[in-house]
Amino acid sequence: MIESVKNPMPVNIVVAHGLEAKALVKMLELERHHVSSKFVEYSNSNKLHLLVSGIGKEAITAGVTYLSEQQASDSGEIRAWLNIGIAGHRDASLGSAWLGNKITDHSAGTNAYPPQLIEGVEVGSVVTVDEPENSYPLDAAYEMEASAFYAEATKYSTAEMVQVFKVISDNLKNPISEIDIRSVPGLIAAQAPQLLILIERMSAIASQHNFNQRLPSYFFEICSKIHLTVNQKLQLRRLCQRYKALGLEKELGCVAGPKASDARKLIQQLTERIDRIREA
Amino acid sequence: MFSTIYIEEEVLELERVRNLLDRFAQVPQVICGRYGEVFNRKSQNFRLQKMAPALILAKKYGNKVLAAPSGYGYNESKGYYFSHMLNCVYDCRYCFLQGMYSSANYVLFVNYEDFEEAIAEKIGENNGGGVYYSGYDCDSLALEPVSNFCSHFLSVFKRYPDAELEIRTKSTQVRSLLDTEVVPNCVIAMSFTTQEAAGQWEHKVPSIKKRLEALHKLQLAGWKVAIRFEPLILGAEGLAPYEALFEQIFSKLDAQRLHSVSSGLFRMPVDFHKRIVKLYPDEELFARPTQTTQGMIALKSTEENTHLMAIEELLLNYVSSEQYYRCA
Repeated sequence: MIESVKNPMPVNIVVAHGLEAKALVKMLELERHHVSSKFVEYSNSNKLHLLVSGIGKEAITAGVTYLSEQQASDSGEIRAWLNIGIAGHRDASLGSAWLGNKITDHSAGTNAYPPQLIEGVEVGSVVTVDEPENSYPLDAAYEMEASAFYAEATKYSTAEMVQVFKVISDNLKNPISEIDIRSVPGLIAAQAPQLLILIERMSAIASQHNFNQRLPSYFFEICSKIHLTVNQKLQLRRLCQRYKALGLEKELGCVAGPKASDARKLIQQLTERIDRIREA
Repeated sequence: MFSTIYIEEEVLELERVRNLLDRFAQVPQVICGRYGEVFNRKSQNFRLQKMAPALILAKKYGNKVLAAPSGYGYNESKGYYFSHMLNCVYDCRYCFLQGMYSSANYVLFVNYEDFEEAIAEKIGENNGGGVYYSGYDCDSLALEPVSNFCSHFLSVFKRYPDAELEIRTKSTQVRSLLDTEVVPNCVIAMSFTTQEAAGQWEHKVPSIKKRLEALHKLQLAGWKVAIRFEPLILGAEGLAPYEALFEQIFSKLDAQRLHSVSSGLFRMPVDFHKRIVKLYPDEELFARPTQTTQGMIALKSTEENTHLMAIEELLLNYVSSEQYYRCA
């Protein structure tokens, strides 16, 4: 269903249960990874990634940490993070769904407010509980992972790019004890229109952000060839960004070239040259 | 207009808030404890939030009227500023607010009566005088249709004729002012940069032409009007853009009747600049060479002073030296 999208989709989707993954794997045309890991993972050639973490706050925290470690790089690029899962609500109809604009951690008594950049998707509150909730006291989707997911994923991405999307699978008339778990993939599949808007929009925003932050290849070339201290790396990064912003990216290669072996001297040359050009 | 409206529980039942929520009933509304739970949290990105800012309705505690930075004002009177709002609907790339907050959401402090009390107290401390600047952390007029800021605070300053209110803005939302009796101790100060700078860095800001039309209407109606040429950013084009700007402005407005005219160079605290560079590494303005003096960063230019003086010379062809001041 998402095959028309050829651009990179730097999005991580994390679900608690394999049944929640099932519809997404089909919808997003994902393939299972066959590497040995404590988590089941899927991805596609567009960089879209899906991980099944297990149920509860601890499990999803571990899943997010694992995935971020696997994806860590020097590029400064971010990925969008999306938690999709089922939830209960006192009277919302089964199959209804929303993006969490307020996430309450019931046991900690804390709230988080994922910034809302995406139009065209229903929004509402989410409450994360430690045990399944049967009475749903607030007008919110009750589930077991969102608060931990948000807290952990915002360590690796910007808050705007961390969202939770909950599909109602139980309510007072259809209590949790009576859920037919085989219905879960269908409930999620029915949300394909909203989910595709969400995923494509998050992907577009993350990609634009990464494009804006993109470093000239010269930076990576130099880093691979000469030793730079952490501070020198930061200086070189900023210099490369400045050359690019001033439309002088081509000048980078002329300054010292990849043969330069003295990092301090290289940075000095790059600084003097850009300041001279810009002031002239 | 807003992606979401967050409302502090404490202000939920205020009439001002209820009216606003009724008006924007179609916008998702979220109740929060204190606005700090939503605004300026770590991991937030100002640049991304600018794509779809939210409105936060909150109550301001603590200092509501603060001393203005030295050299900010146009006369020797003590200067103060107050911010009924944080952040601006416009998106000017040179603006320090991008480095001040990690969030681009607008915070509207709805306890106007508490601001009023704090202003009255400060005016009392200054024997009925002082200059009070609004628009330091926001644009005072741009959200007027939502905030009704003017209609409230103008009536406050009417009661204190020796205290001056400066409303700093780039907005053309002057209808509420035109519908009101002129308040002689209120100055509407409009900021301008050159056409080139506006085109490059002032996003979502009304055109120079429209701003001038708004100012012209105000001047004709008898309001005191001031011009702020800030920030001055000197480019390769030299003085020509300033010549054109001054010609455009002073052929429309009555220069003799201007309350004051000021200029100010591009400056900001080093920490703000660092944060902005992280947000906009691809921005040409921030890639230029800079120099730092006493914690403030400015564009490096060996001829800055010469250029500034040349701009001032041009300006003084239109206004008197008594009307002009250089903002520190």
